[in-house]
Amino acid sequence: MMNGTWKVDARDGKLAMAHIYVAFVALALGGLAGLLQVLVRSGKFELPAGISYYTILTTHGVLLGLVLTTFFIIGFQFAAVSRTAGTLSDRVRFWGWVGFWLMTIGTAITAFYILIGEASVLYTFYAPLQAHAGFYIGLTLVVVGSWISGFAMFAHYAKWKKAHPGQVSPLLTFMSVVNMVLWLICSLGVAATVLFQLIPWSLGYVDRINVLVSRTLFWYFGHPLVYFWLLPAYMIWYAIIPKIIGGKMFSDSLARMSFILFLIFSIPVGFHHQLVEPGIDPAWKYLQVVLTFMVVIPSLMTAFSMFATFEMYGRSKGATGLFGWLRKLPWGDARFFAPFIGMLFFIPAGAGGLVNASHQLNQVVHNTIWVTGHFHLTLATTVVLTFFGAAYWLIPHLTGRVMTKAMNRLAIIQTIVWSIGMIFMSSAMHFAGLLGAPRRSAFSTYGDAPQALEWVPYQIAQAVGGTILFIGIILVLIIVTNLAFFAPKGETEFPVAEVAEQAERTPLVFENWTLWIGIAVVLILIAYTVPFIDMIQNAPPGSKGFKLW
Amino acid sequence: MKTQLNTNTSKTKVEKEPPLKGTLVSVLFLGFFLIFTWVSVYFLFLNRL
Repeated sequence: MMNGTWKVDARDGKLAMAHIYVAFVALALGGLAGLLQVLVRSGKFELPAGISYYTILTTHGVLLGLVLTTFFIIGFQFAAVSRTAGTLSDRVRFWGWVGFWLMTIGTAITAFYILIGEASVLYTFYAPLQAHAGFYIGLTLVVVGSWISGFAMFAHYAKWKKAHPGQVSPLLTFMSVVNMVLWLICSLGVAATVLFQLIPWSLGYVDRINVLVSRTLFWYFGHPLVYFWLLPAYMIWYAIIPKIIGGKMFSDSLARMSFILFLIFSIPVGFHHQLVEPGIDPAWKYLQVVLTFMVVIPSLMTAFSMFATFEMYGRSKGATGLFGWLRKLPWGDARFFAPFIGMLFFIPAGAGGLVNASHQLNQVVHNTIWVTGHFHLTLATTVVLTFFGAAYWLIPHLTGRVMTKAMNRLAIIQTIVWSIGMIFMSSAMHFAGLLGAPRRSAFSTYGDAPQALEWVPYQIAQAVGGTILFIGIILVLIIVTNLAFFAPKGETEFPVAEVAEQAERTPLVFENWTLWIGIAVVLILIAYTVPFIDMIQNAPPGSKGFKLW
Repeated sequence: MKTQLNTNTSKTKVEKEPPLKGTLVSVLFLGFFLIFTWVSVYFLFLNRL
């Protein structure tokens, strides 16, 4: 890559690895909580020592949905910008460390209050469930830390742009910047509800809270959060996988275009999580559903681009027939295999997402365990398997080691184990959801109601799948520990793909930030201003806090 | 003296698009799957009205 360094500087590597260690510790603890959840939900197991199911549920959701993802993403992105836009300056690296420590301290505080049973408010922590103020303060530190790291990346990007006037920035750096802009805009929503509503309310400064505003601000953040997880996986698919298979990127412009579309369309869509919410006019829900469906466009662009990359590579190797190119792909390479399986799982995940976002269909699945099954496909398979695949070269690259053949084989087995576990667990969740089984609930037969008894076999299947997935977590932890501390010393490549010769030149317009952020802000204002004023002006008296655990 | 005609000038250079039939069929299958899932749950919704 032009003007890029081939190896991430050791000091930058340390910063990235610090994030990755926290991410995998979160995976271990959050994964254990997940195992306990599926066992309880099977009806065959009870938690010892009076531990609440909802404490375990909150631990699982916060550690895996927020901590694993945010830490891995920021660590990966620091490595990616250092690799493609040059070694970080001392100042940028310093602020990267400040961000890291704030996030880590915040995580520790939040985890403490969850584990002592003072914050069983689920991963979606909105009112009227009320946690100890420490839970919200810890989360605030996590978000503020991530903002600092985001600004450190922006500064690094700005320095590169200044040194290379009129040039298109390296793709991975551009993508990291888009993702952090997206994160910054959306996390303003969660910061607003935490700082202005939840903290004063949990400290007793105010007695009552506007529940609808709190939920709306959460989902203003909550949906783009999904894309904050997904875009780094897309970075790996677009800009790294082609290099791993030995091919080229189909198009740099298409990749940038899809990222810009995600930036524009993934934020003003939170109402599709609130389709059964009273107090929001259906016309505004309709508008946000339309905007949600716009996100399908960049998703399908990505699917097309991936298929095209694979087919172009296979044909360049002499593949014939309609699908002969599939045989040419490097199935024995875990760096490819794990993300590829992640891509496959994104097909049913995307289909389920269209169901969730459609107003009528949402009534079939709303608040059922179908939704849990859905995001275990998107986040816990597509994104996570892609991150695992990236860890298999990123960790040895940063620690100066190489992955052995035995570890590669174990990583292939890990991917297969994960897939089998997820097929059991997620399919069972989807079917039970269609039969009305609720999400966010401990085991109950609801007084032996016939409908609830129908769910039991599916809940046992979830426990089987969840147990297999936990074995998958143990396997990945073995591989990661090996790569970080025990693998043989050596050089591992940080793969960065080149663009295919036939591709068009990338126009500079994709880096017109005023334009794209401007459009994003306008759409957010259109989608949210009127309903938000309505929620405040016509608000009921507000709710006291509830601690139901 | 014979003048040699430059036959190359009459040919226009055609940029060759990569053959992406497999990609086309794959994305069509993907689209079909999305529609099939959506319609299935839609009928479930209608049945429960």
